Amino acid sequence: MLKAVLGFVAGVVIVALVGWMMMPSMMFTERVSPFGMEETVARIQHNIEDSPELKAKGWSLSGLRNPAKAVQTDGGNVLPVMMIEVCSTKYSGPILKDDTVRFLSILMPCKISIYKKQDGKVYIGTMNAGLMGMMFGPLVGETMGHVAEDQKLFLKFDPSKPAPQMILPKAPTGGAGAAAAGGC
Amino acid sequence: MSLGKRMLSLVMVVGAALAVSMAQASTDPAPAPAQSVAPGAHSYVPEVEKKSTSTADHSKFKELQQNFTSGPEVTKACLVCHTEAAKQVHKSKHWTWEFLNPETKQRLGKKNVINNFCTAVPSNYEFCTACHAGYGWKDQKFDFTSQDNVDCLVCHESTGTYRKLPGLSGHPNYKDMEFPPGSGKIVKAPILKDVAQSVGKTGRNNCGACHFFGGGGDAVKHGDLDSSLKMPSKYLDVHMDKDGLNFSCGTCHKTTGHEVPGSRYTPTASDDKAGGHMRGKEDKNPATCQACHGTAPHKVAKLNSHTDKIACQTCHIAEYARGGKPTKMVWDWSTAGKLDKDGKPFKLKDSGGHDSYDSKKGDFKYETNVIPEYIWFNGKVNYTLRETKLDPTKVVKINSFEGSASDGKSKIWPVKVFRGKQPYDVGNNQLLVFHTYGKDDSSLWSNFNWDKAIEYGMKEIGAEYSGKYAFVSTEMSWPITHMVAPKGDALTCAQCHAPSGGIGRLDNVPGLYMPGRRANELLNTAGWSLAALSLLGVLVHGGIRILAARKGDEK
Repeated sequence: MLKAVLGFVAGVVIVALVGWMMMPSMMFTERVSPFGMEETVARIQHNIEDSPELKAKGWSLSGLRNPAKAVQTDGGNVLPVMMIEVCSTKYSGPILKDDTVRFLSILMPCKISIYKKQDGKVYIGTMNAGLMGMMFGPLVGETMGHVAEDQKLFLKFDPSKPAPQMILPKAPTGGAGAAAAGGC
Repeated sequence: MSLGKRMLSLVMVVGAALAVSMAQASTDPAPAPAQSVAPGAHSYVPEVEKKSTSTADHSKFKELQQNFTSGPEVTKACLVCHTEAAKQVHKSKHWTWEFLNPETKQRLGKKNVINNFCTAVPSNYEFCTACHAGYGWKDQKFDFTSQDNVDCLVCHESTGTYRKLPGLSGHPNYKDMEFPPGSGKIVKAPILKDVAQSVGKTGRNNCGACHFFGGGGDAVKHGDLDSSLKMPSKYLDVHMDKDGLNFSCGTCHKTTGHEVPGSRYTPTASDDKAGGHMRGKEDKNPATCQACHGTAPHKVAKLNSHTDKIACQTCHIAEYARGGKPTKMVWDWSTAGKLDKDGKPFKLKDSGGHDSYDSKKGDFKYETNVIPEYIWFNGKVNYTLRETKLDPTKVVKINSFEGSASDGKSKIWPVKVFRGKQPYDVGNNQLLVFHTYGKDDSSLWSNFNWDKAIEYGMKEIGAEYSGKYAFVSTEMSWPITHMVAPKGDALTCAQCHAPSGGIGRLDNVPGLYMPGRRANELLNTAGWSLAALSLLGVLVHGGIRILAARKGDEK
């Protein structure tokens, strides 16, 4: 009996450890961009803005942030980081209306991070919306599943198209979405 | 909730909180795209006001209280008191644009080198000499012995209104002028009397008027020199920080008799003479890091043990072009000359709003926050000059930095490698000089005809041309030495000694054994064998001792 209990406990610990180790790579995804910083940002922005399919689902850009700037102001240096903020009220609305999951507003708007690493390459970081959503019940799970599907369209590049211009916020974004054309 | 779910939730909430806090920390929008500004046409940024230590107020000098109508008139007035100044300038590279490398015997300088930016000065004097410290160099007949032709103002004026626009042979615009032509922007003519009375020590704006705009625009050429250094913050350069040390260029490039030390034609790659540089002595280059910091500047001895092989710049300038001004990384002349459907030249912009194509110049690529390439460098640079034979099947190195891990003189240096394509003579396998700017029919920018532009350029220098041209890939290297970051932003140990599988900054530097990074199978096998033998020895020895002790007990 003792052996069985010990075996069970050991199993739980091992599973927890494996889960702990794998969680970061499961929750967030990272891929190398074939373009430079500004072009990557611009192409993602235009994928979102110019797609009738995404527009129909309520997606619009709600900001573009440059966290590296704050570090510079403080006298330091970091490699470039740009964060595209994008939101759809069709997806955010139902979640924001439900008191039990309204705390998930902390994840809004959706962010796509574009950053350079030591190897000089540009990377794109996104949240694994599908997996995260599954943890918060059917409403959030279903919504985030749609978000995950749409995220794939955000990052579908067509290199044959010429590089578009970056879309800059019309005014300094005091808070998330302050300069939003739509969004959350 | 299961343990797994709780843990997942915890990670997610913490991650989201971090993401949100980062986003909130920065309330700045993304940077606006930098505009490429033509040399001489940049906006003036006043330097931080310093209490003048000068013993002379030039506005009180009678010689300068006249309504000057030209630059040479001002120079004449300057020379009344500064009788030897022009003679000193005549000996400097800023005047001759020529330099004979004493080691390689190559005749260098702007007058002779063909680079892979704007390429060559000959046949384009009127345009290029906007950055000459003189007046009137419009062709090969320029009088280099004339003292009145020396331009004192460009290096010493402090109004910021004195600009030498390309196309005026080194003169400022004496009348209001639209520049660039067709842009609708009017550059006001400077009031020479005011400009002359403002003279003083050379400041960052003076040097920057040319050196920040090399290669045809802001930040284009060097990567570590651009207009962001006019009023830099600490993150960009600890020495030039406007709120800190506030160095001018001359603080390091300590100038004597108008001779400015710190040449890129003969860079000091390794300055290991102990101690700093005593000002006034001419025994070494005062514009090196070691001239002030010595060779053991760190409190940690392990860091000091790196200084014999690693240039200070390698760790302390981890990236260049950090001031928000993108530097040009690629320039392909071979695509120049395309016209739109109306037969007119055109420009295209990249995602950041910088020119990515210009009918006059071809295709470009820009980048900010560039991670340097690293090379062994011993200070010796060999140039591919116009007369040098080249192999068009290979990338032609406009300049080759010599150095190796084993020569005892080299250090690992960060460099900007600028890549491009430019015309070469197919018959003679040599680089070509072409006529870029001019109001005549032969200049590339007026008729987009390469044949005419090359013929004119080669005739100008009196060199043989086979009549056939093509484009060859070229590379030019620039040592990175400005934009020194705060010490907290220097490369960390792990950025070079990265775990295998990680990104190591010096991975492409040959002849280097990097502990923790580059495995030598033989050395590894020998090391592990020794460790295994030691362990075996301990076990055997311990075992024998235990057995012997038991036997002793039994007895």
